[in-house]
Amino acid sequence: MTPVAFALASILVLASAAQEVSPSAAPAAGIGAPKGLQLSGPELDKRTDDIGALLRCPVCQGLSVSDSPATMARNMKAEVREKLAKGYDQEQILAYFERSYGEFVRLQPPMRGVNWLVWFGPVAALIAGGAVIAWAMKRSPREPAGGGRQGGFAVPPASDLPSRDSVPTDPKLAAAVRRVRMLAYGWPQGVSPKAGS
Amino acid sequence: MTTALTSHPEPAMRRSRVNPKVLVGGLVVALPLLAVLVANLGRDPHSVRSPLIGRPAPAFSLVPVGGGAPVSLEKLSGKPVVINFWATWCVPCFEEHAALTAAARGLPDVQFLGVVYEDEEARTQEFLRQRPSAYPSLIDPEGKSAIAYGVFGVPETFFIDGSGRIVDKYVGPMTRSTIAALVGRAKEGAR
Repeated sequence: MTPVAFALASILVLASAAQEVSPSAAPAAGIGAPKGLQLSGPELDKRTDDIGALLRCPVCQGLSVSDSPATMARNMKAEVREKLAKGYDQEQILAYFERSYGEFVRLQPPMRGVNWLVWFGPVAALIAGGAVIAWAMKRSPREPAGGGRQGGFAVPPASDLPSRDSVPTDPKLAAAVRRVRMLAYGWPQGVSPKAGS
Repeated sequence: MTTALTSHPEPAMRRSRVNPKVLVGGLVVALPLLAVLVANLGRDPHSVRSPLIGRPAPAFSLVPVGGGAPVSLEKLSGKPVVINFWATWCVPCFEEHAALTAAARGLPDVQFLGVVYEDEEARTQEFLRQRPSAYPSLIDPEGKSAIAYGVFGVPETFFIDGSGRIVDKYVGPMTRSTIAALVGRAKEGAR
């Protein structure tokens, strides 16, 4: 017997012992009669892990019951296992935990009410964003340089734009601009070599 | 910024032209998100209102620490019940222990119960030997009752009215006045 199998076996023994002590806990409150098949063996292990992955460990930070080593998570997993062995189906088991912990306990919000927003909000936002971009592109086709509106900004005609050779009238500013051009472009004294030619 | 350095007049683009449609559209998207953010700023994301409030308390039948006949909730119906989930490793539980014991002595018409959460029976027994309690503490094998009550941590206390309905849940250590106020509500609920 492997240690894991031994641990699982002892959980089952403990679980059945617990039921003997607390017979009132036997019929799971509020989720009705088992709707699925009574599982056992490897199938039971697999379904326990699957459902544990859909349950939030209440004492952890964003971990599922399957992923958490906390005692609480182990207890919840044992509860899932026990319910699966009795034949409760996934939805019944999730509903059982939801009754005590609220919807918070489900890591996958059920598709109902405002939760539709969680499921389809991002897709809707993506589509809406694409539509806005398409609309904006259609509305303002790229015009050849030379004025008009581009992307919503008013662009003055090219003739209004300062050429790279022009300098401000203010002598101090003009000197500064020339110095920047000298440093940036390597123009002697900040004057374009083409300007003289 | 070259425009600032040239002799040319500022083009029209400098005077920002807000597209009212874009502004309204942006506000429609941003304001609700901002409202949700502001409304929840002071909230602990882990404090979830218990869905059990107003519903029948989950049944249990648990053996007290040190052994004895199982205590079951059904047999207590007709009387308001206070169920306190606690553990010896929980410092706030230690702080609230005296208040709970005093409250239990002062309110003989209310049944106080402790449920031991994720702790060893021997340590619990030792704790109770040093600080006697006025009410039984029950052993919860595999935390089944803690799960049924949706316990997130300790201390958490449930107030149940005479008809077996959960009236309120308190998270964290309680003082005598808190206990008195919540017991009062459980008593009202019974009427």
